[in-house]
Amino acid sequence: MPAGFNSLLPALVLIVLFFVVPVLALLLRSVTEPEPGLQNYATLLGDGTYARVFFNTFLVAAVVTAVTVVVAFPVAWMLAIMPSALASIIFGVIILSMWTNLLTRTYAWMVLLQRTGVINRALLAIGIIDQPLPLINNLTGVTIGMVYIMLPFMILPLVGTLRAIDPMTLRAAALCGASPIQAFRRILLPLSLPGLAAGGLMVFVMSLGYFVTPALLGGTSNMMLAEMIAQMIQSLLNWGLGSAAAFILLVVIMALYALQLRLVGARRMTGGI
Amino acid sequence: MKLIFTGIVAGLLATTAAKAEEMVFTSWGGTTQEAQTKSWAEPFTAASGIKVLQDGPTDYGKLKAMVDAGSVNWDVVDVEMDFAIKAAKDGLLEPIDFAAVPKADLDPRFTTDHAVGSFYYSFVLAWNKGAVSGEPAGWADMFDTKKFPGKRTFYKWSAPGVIEIALLADGVPADKLYPLDLDRAFKKLDTIKSDIVWWSGGAESQQLIASGEAAFGQLWNGRVFALQHDEADVGVSWNQNLTAADVLVVPKGAKNKDAAMKFLAAASSPAGQAEFAASSGYAPVNTKAKAEMAADVVKSLPDAHVDGQINLDMNYWAEHRDEIATRWYAWQAK
Repeated sequence: MPAGFNSLLPALVLIVLFFVVPVLALLLRSVTEPEPGLQNYATLLGDGTYARVFFNTFLVAAVVTAVTVVVAFPVAWMLAIMPSALASIIFGVIILSMWTNLLTRTYAWMVLLQRTGVINRALLAIGIIDQPLPLINNLTGVTIGMVYIMLPFMILPLVGTLRAIDPMTLRAAALCGASPIQAFRRILLPLSLPGLAAGGLMVFVMSLGYFVTPALLGGTSNMMLAEMIAQMIQSLLNWGLGSAAAFILLVVIMALYALQLRLVGARRMTGGI
Repeated sequence: MKLIFTGIVAGLLATTAAKAEEMVFTSWGGTTQEAQTKSWAEPFTAASGIKVLQDGPTDYGKLKAMVDAGSVNWDVVDVEMDFAIKAAKDGLLEPIDFAAVPKADLDPRFTTDHAVGSFYYSFVLAWNKGAVSGEPAGWADMFDTKKFPGKRTFYKWSAPGVIEIALLADGVPADKLYPLDLDRAFKKLDTIKSDIVWWSGGAESQQLIASGEAAFGQLWNGRVFALQHDEADVGVSWNQNLTAADVLVVPKGAKNKDAAMKFLAAASSPAGQAEFAASSGYAPVNTKAKAEMAADVVKSLPDAHVDGQINLDMNYWAEHRDEIATRWYAWQAK
């Protein structure tokens, strides 16, 4: 038995009891209800509707991750090079948004984005548009709402990585004649990859399982997996099928995590946070 | 030490003793549950001494989970009638003890072996007068985007209502609705799909219409009643209004079954039903209730609009619930 195993025991028991056992129960249910067999998985993988929902889920998660990266990077860079007193105030603002209730924030976006909402009314009033823009009940609404919620999860790991980069490397690049774009592409971007990967994976994985925001800001045609699972459990009472869908989602996420470990390495990944 | 221990035991005993005089009522929240609390729970507690704890919203998954796990925390639950019929078949409900719940005056349309009516309602066509020019006359107008442009809002979940509306709008006569021609209904719904905003709860339907976010839609009559009561500029058409019901059920293995049956008796009594109808705009399920109600309230209820009224077929829905739901959600996700 490895040294220190005994002191690990309570944590292991906790993980087995509250994580491994429920996941096994989920797996069991997915192959035993309504009758033993793999028919739930066959239904999910063989049906065009479910395939579309799976595709939507990945599409939304990918779009949200991409937009989050683009928005978060400049903010993180600014925080990394800013005097620390000012940076901690801005950190406070970012963290504060995380502490605000998710539902409240999502409803706030509804008020802003809907056809009779603040943004459309303002644009109509100053004559930029003559028809309300479709900002809600579609992919646009989901993306805006989710990017806003995901930003802190991207910014925080990224700042850690960016702070560790010696600013002199950029100056050296400039002295050697690199344009700012070249310096970004060949110095800053490669060096910030661990933070980008850690934040990106976190955002992507969290987005895959998101429920509230897509349900409120999206339309039925961009339904995501979590909403479909809720329908199967609450409305159809088809727990076997719902469990199978949840298990597939879990396997995909584990696979992504494993891939990430291989690409970046566990130490560098967690080191960014 | 011993004193503390005795104190704890006494405390535990006191809670168990209090528990015997308690029961849990679960409904959909919002103005409806407030009215149920005021009209049923409060007078019931005053008369019987049994405390009624409120919980919600109704969640069929939770109900099934409680029954399956043998740990039922809900004693009386307000559910949609087609669900009640299906749930009774699946063994999720206690039979109603009609020795404790007087049955004679209950509307037989909404009474089964495992459920007594809660209230019944109509789906009506409501519109925001500021957002619609002219007056939509019936369901067909909701499918006429040329004559009536704008977003229209429908109930999001698979439930009796929208399928029937599509078929009626497509010219199916009211007495030929069942069995439902799903292909035809979805084809008709396809014609306005991009103009539909779905509402998933009563408060949302009110907000969509009152703000003009949706120009018009299919709403529960009680929600329109509340909007008009608040002087929102909302029009309503009762043409081909579609009735459906909520019923009260007792989950299998409910801990306070006797109290639950007494509560059902109070809720379905003429007085309880009259009081609830007056504050909600929904119709009573007790045929004696109208005698206890003010004339202007009676006029605003669904059963004042029986001309052209269509009863949604709960038994048909109970039988085909899963099949329709699977197609419904598949169509929505397209």
